[in-house]
Amino acid sequence: MPETWTEICRLDEFPSSGRKLVKLNGIEIALFNVGGTIYAIKNRCPHRSGPLIRGFIDPTGGIKCPMHGWRFDLRDGSSERPAKATVYPVTIENGMLYLRLS
Amino acid sequence: MQLTTIDKLIKDEYRFFLQEKKSWSLTVEPQDLELVAHALRVLLHARTTPDFLADYLALVDCQNADGGWSPYSADQESTVWVSAFCGLMLIRGNRFLHHERITRSVQRAIDYFLDTQKGDGRWTDSRWADLDTTSHPVSFFNVVMALNEFHRRTDVLRSWEHGARFIVDHQSQDGSWSDNDFHPSGIEITAHLIQDALVADLVIDNRIRGIRESCAKGAAKLYEWQAQDGSWDGENVDHTMDCTRSLMVVTRILNDARAADVIMRGLQWIITNKNPQGWGDFPGMETNLERTCDGLDTLLKYKAYRSNDSREVVRLWGYVP
Repeated sequence: MPETWTEICRLDEFPSSGRKLVKLNGIEIALFNVGGTIYAIKNRCPHRSGPLIRGFIDPTGGIKCPMHGWRFDLRDGSSERPAKATVYPVTIENGMLYLRLS
Repeated sequence: MQLTTIDKLIKDEYRFFLQEKKSWSLTVEPQDLELVAHALRVLLHARTTPDFLADYLALVDCQNADGGWSPYSADQESTVWVSAFCGLMLIRGNRFLHHERITRSVQRAIDYFLDTQKGDGRWTDSRWADLDTTSHPVSFFNVVMALNEFHRRTDVLRSWEHGARFIVDHQSQDGSWSDNDFHPSGIEITAHLIQDALVADLVIDNRIRGIRESCAKGAAKLYEWQAQDGSWDGENVDHTMDCTRSLMVVTRILNDARAADVIMRGLQWIITNKNPQGWGDFPGMETNLERTCDGLDTLLKYKAYRSNDSREVVRLWGYVP
């Protein structure tokens, strides 16, 4: 695996519907396993910095902030609100989950 | 809950709040104005406003040409929610500061809200649900009327009533308000609307029929939503503070003694779940300065709630001089 990817955990330690908070280079990142697809998004909502790790997942692949309800698409961070969330690429290799910050 | 315990917490947290001044004071650098407004509310309720005139004047200085404010002080595009919070802090702060520039700024803010109201009575702001957004200018106008600011009074009255009716008309049968895009559960919106927009009418003017029933139903819904541990909305610190404060003023005005235990349990949960300094958004999370301002405000309001003068807590919403 290239150095730009950071090892997070074994995939079998991250069950479907699970969520996990990690901190890389001082950045909190919320990881979600939605039906076997893993998403990674910066934990702090760009609105009032609410913790997305405590947010509500919807079946269309969105996360809604628990503080004031801003919704973000977990695939690209897009939103109908006036700010975009930062998402991070993830990959799985040999049963291990990796994340890339840039 | 002993008031000596509350006093000690207020003293400790206020000291921490002042230590963090560089993060909220416009006299230091450009700031997030939602945070600034939260901080000015702490000063107001800690009765230290006269020591911070420069902060109030700095807020006047970043008012936009249209009379509103931007979420970030260095920006120039006004949005409704933060503008109302800023205007509210200025008019309430000016009770102690008596400064002509602040008076003019408040009048320009009044112009801004009169200019931006929609035809059906609502105000909009892409950052907040329409009901939440509408409650803010209505709340500002409540205080404009209560504190006898007469700039364009006839227009203000008409606009205020239109906004308040928009809110009343959108209450659900069960007593709650909700917004499918922002707040499907409705807990925070319900707590906001009854305390900020509606209940003031019972003290100021009694103009709108049905407000008492509307507030009573909203408060009853908040009782019902409280968890066994005293929190609201899945241990959400912000929303628990909102509900606890809302019930203090609403039930004091409604003279509903049932709230005392609900408020006590909410406050106890808030205190139990504070960090060594300040509060986070959920138990165990790192301290967030905005939440710390809310926590301090909750303690200061609770102290007023316990006062022998039943109007003291109402005064901390600006509804009585």
